[in-house]
Amino acid sequence: MQKRVVLPLLLTALTTIPPLQAHHSFAAEFDDKKPVKMTGVVTKVEWQNPHIWFYVDVKGDDGKVTNWGFSGGAPGQLMRRGIAKKVIQEGMTITVEGFRSKDGSNNANGARVTFPDGRSVFTAGAEDRAPGDGKGK
Amino acid sequence: MKTLCLLFVAITSVSVAQNIPRTAEGKPNFSGTYEWPKAMGGEQCRCSATIFDRKLFAPLKPGGEPFLEPHNGDPRHDEPRDFCMPAGFPSGMLSANAMQFFQTKDYLIMVHEFQRMTRVIPLDGRKHREDIEPSFYGDPVGHWDGDTLVIETTNFKRWGLDDYFYTDPNQYRMHSDALKTIERISWKNRNQLSYILTIDDPKIFTKAWAQEFSITSKPEWDAAGLYEYVCEENNRCPGGKCQGK
Repeated sequence: MQKRVVLPLLLTALTTIPPLQAHHSFAAEFDDKKPVKMTGVVTKVEWQNPHIWFYVDVKGDDGKVTNWGFSGGAPGQLMRRGIAKKVIQEGMTITVEGFRSKDGSNNANGARVTFPDGRSVFTAGAEDRAPGDGKGK
Repeated sequence: MKTLCLLFVAITSVSVAQNIPRTAEGKPNFSGTYEWPKAMGGEQCRCSATIFDRKLFAPLKPGGEPFLEPHNGDPRHDEPRDFCMPAGFPSGMLSANAMQFFQTKDYLIMVHEFQRMTRVIPLDGRKHREDIEPSFYGDPVGHWDGDTLVIETTNFKRWGLDDYFYTDPNQYRMHSDALKTIERISWKNRNQLSYILTIDDPKIFTKAWAQEFSITSKPEWDAAGLYEYVCEENNRCPGGKCQGK
């Protein structure tokens, strides 16, 4: 019974808390004209400053697997929002939405992570944003 | 009616003065964990950091226009923090992270989680240091004005004033090396500090101007404390050029 109550509350908190400040300008690193949405298996999580990074093996239409890196908010900010390292774990299948890095490499901001059961977590910092959420410019 | 209002203000002031935490010396005690300073209305950033409200700015001096310096496309100019350069003061103070203050008779230590900004503010009556290089955080000294702590900071490098560029990427507010800031900190009530920040930058503005912010006490954050912030640890995409995985 407790789980039924706590989980919706937690999910509400994770998805409605305003975005937080990160150390960099979104515009300096990511291209808001290149939204990405990918599904794959988490291969590594770096819970480090100034931003967390998590890596996902994504299988293309041709069957080729490419490892993508996604940048989120600062660990301290995420933890104070109730998002702990265990939220994203190696081996999980997740869908990530964000914007591709300006240099065209296989990196992006990982703004919104959706799990197979439909739960969604906003993992980005302030000037990071998820496609379609209207934040920033 | 006016008398009643004055009486109410007087009673409220006495009540606040009696209920605030105090040190052994009887000074207001600001030791504790807090949220970052938040604006009480006015201009809001397109980010969660606090920014100054341009309506409060004093008029620019002739020649002060470079205060609104356009981005030039060079990321080292446009966002030096992307290379783990410091935010400086006052910008770093307004970043959306937790802060912890430690107060002794002779010092107030302000630690901000963002970049682990640490300001050591002498309260022992000393003067500003002489013959030192300008710095990102300036040279602060504090003194008491009744129950208000007044911190005067000088000797800054020219650097970013606040995070306004997240709101308008084409503008980057810079302060000059003539900046002097005055912070006035006092307990507004048992849970909130009044934080009045005066910007006195005679190379840019015709006169000094000030904005009041509110700082909320967060004792519930004491248990976790501040988290580490070492920017160099994994800054993978400085200036938009991502490095190896």
